[in-house]
Amino acid sequence: MVHNSRSLTKLVGELKKLPGVGEKTALRLAFHLMKSPANVSALAESLLEVRARVRFCSTCFGITENDPCSICTGDRDSSAICVVEESQDLLAIERSGAFHGRYHVLQGALSPLNGVTPAQLRISELMRRIEAGGVREVVLATNFSVEGEATALYLTKLLKPLGIRVTRLAHGIPLGGDLEYIDAATVQRAMEGRSEL
Amino acid sequence: MRLKKISLASFRNLQKVELEPGARFNILYGNNGQGKTNLIEAIYLLGTLKSFRLAKNSELMTWGTPFALVKGMVEHEGVDREIALVVEREGKRVRVDQKTIARPADFFGSLNVVVFSPDEMAMAKGGPDVRRRYLDRAVFSGDAAYLGFFHDYSRVLKNRNALLKKDDNDGLDVWSEKLAEAGTRLIARRIGFLREIEGLLREFYRSISGNGEDVGIAYRPHLLDRERLPAEGTTLLLEGLARTAAEERRTGATAVGPHRDDVEFILNGRALKQYASQGQQRSFILALKMAEIEYLRRKFDSPPILLLDDMTSELDRERNRNLMEFLKQKEIQVFITTTSLQNLRLDGIDNHRTFLVSDGEVSQQR
Repeated sequence: MVHNSRSLTKLVGELKKLPGVGEKTALRLAFHLMKSPANVSALAESLLEVRARVRFCSTCFGITENDPCSICTGDRDSSAICVVEESQDLLAIERSGAFHGRYHVLQGALSPLNGVTPAQLRISELMRRIEAGGVREVVLATNFSVEGEATALYLTKLLKPLGIRVTRLAHGIPLGGDLEYIDAATVQRAMEGRSEL
Repeated sequence: MRLKKISLASFRNLQKVELEPGARFNILYGNNGQGKTNLIEAIYLLGTLKSFRLAKNSELMTWGTPFALVKGMVEHEGVDREIALVVEREGKRVRVDQKTIARPADFFGSLNVVVFSPDEMAMAKGGPDVRRRYLDRAVFSGDAAYLGFFHDYSRVLKNRNALLKKDDNDGLDVWSEKLAEAGTRLIARRIGFLREIEGLLREFYRSISGNGEDVGIAYRPHLLDRERLPAEGTTLLLEGLARTAAEERRTGATAVGPHRDDVEFILNGRALKQYASQGQQRSFILALKMAEIEYLRRKFDSPPILLLDDMTSELDRERNRNLMEFLKQKEIQVFITTTSLQNLRLDGIDNHRTFLVSDGEVSQQR
C-alpha cells in the first residue's frame, strides 16, 4: 500500500504480478516510471500495440504479427519440424542458428498435477501437419524437466508408428563446462547417456 | 570432521547459545524440556539442512521471532570452515565462509552428521515408511546426486497419481515408463548402499553380540521379484504396474515403486521383526548405526559427527560399552544428551566436556 496514492498502489500491484518481480522491484519500477513521463506513454503504447497485433500463428502456434508466421511461410526446410514447449524456446533455438526447419509450439508440457493433459496442448494440430505429408523428421526439444521428458515420450509414441524419424536434443555437460563445477546428478545422467566415439 | 564452535540465536527455546565442544565426547545434560534435543537438532540441521524431527521452518524459530540462526565452525582435513544457516518462514539460506550456497548439492559433505535416537531404535518394529526414510537419508548422505533423483521420482509419482484420479487417463503409459525409469534409478542406489554396508553390519553385530549369530540387510521391493533387481528394474516395475492396474484405478494411487518398498533386517536367515528378542533388535540397530558411520568415514576419509539423543535408557551396560569403545577407536566427535550423569556410562572415557542445559541456557561444567 503506497501512502496517499491509490493509483500508485494499483500500479505496484499490477507490476507485482509479473514473473520475477516482488514488492521492492515493483515499487522501484513504479517510481522510475513516474519520473519519466515520456517513457510511460511509450511503454503504454507498446503494451497496447503488442496486445493488438501479436497473435499465435495458426500453423505452428508461435507468436507472430502475420498469420501464418514468416517461418511457416518462408523457404525453410519443411521436412523437419522442431517441437518446443513455449515461444521463448523457439527464439532460443533460432538464436543458435542450428536449425533450418520449421517449428511447432505445444504451448505447455504434460502435467496432470497442474491439470495439463494431451488435450490441452497443441498436439492434434501437430498431428494434422504431419498427416498433411512432407515431414520426414520431428526434433523433440521440450525441456529436460520431468514434465518435458514425459511430453517427449508421449509424442514419440504417437509419431514413431507413422514411420517418421523422431529425434531428441542431446543433454548432459554444457559446452565449455568444467566438470568440477557440474552437479553430481547431471554428471551421473551424462555418464548414463555417454556415446561411443 | 569436528565441530569446534557452535552458536545459536532464537532457535526454538535457545535464545542465545554459544559453546565450544571438545574433540571427542560432549555431554549435554539437564532435565527434560530444557533444550538438549533442540541443540542436537541444530547441529543436525547445520549438516543436513533438514530437521530429524521433520519440523517446519516456523517451528525452528523462537516464538515471535522472524528467523533463527545457527552458525558453526567445522574442521575438516585441517581446514576450518564457517557454516551459517538462517532459517526463515519462507526457507533456509546457507553460507559457507560467507559465500552463499545456491544449490543444496553444493553444500554436500560440508558437515556429515549421524543421529541415533530412540526413534531409530523403534525402526526394527515400525512400519516400512520409517525404514524407507532412514534408507533415503543414509543413501543421500553418501551420494549427492540421490536427492535430485529422489525429487524427480516424487514429481513423476505425483503426476501419475493425479492422472490416475482423472476420468481421462490419456498418457498414463508415458508416466508409467517415466516412473519405472526414475524408480529404477532410486532402487539401484538403495540396493548399492545396502550391499556396501551389509559386510560392515555383520562385522559390528558379531563384535557386539560376541557369538556366532549372523545378520543381514536386504532390499524388499513391494510386489516385485527382488532377485531380478536392480538389473531388470524398469521391466519389473512396468510389469508390476500392469498387474496392479485394476487396484490403481480403484485407489487412484500408484501401487508399486520405491515409495512402497521396504528394507528387511535379518537375523540368522529370519526376519528380525518377528523372530528376534528385544536385545537382539537393539544390537542390530546399534550395529547398523556403526556401519553407517564407518561407511561415511570411508567415503569422506573422515568420520561423521554422531548425535546420541536420549539413548541412555535404550542401551544396556554392555552395548553402551561396545558403542563407546567403537567411538573412541574411530576418533569420532560425539554429542550425548542425558537427563542424568549417573546413568551415563563413561567407563574409561577421560576426554570429555560436560554442558548443563537449563531453561534454554547452556553452560560448560568444569
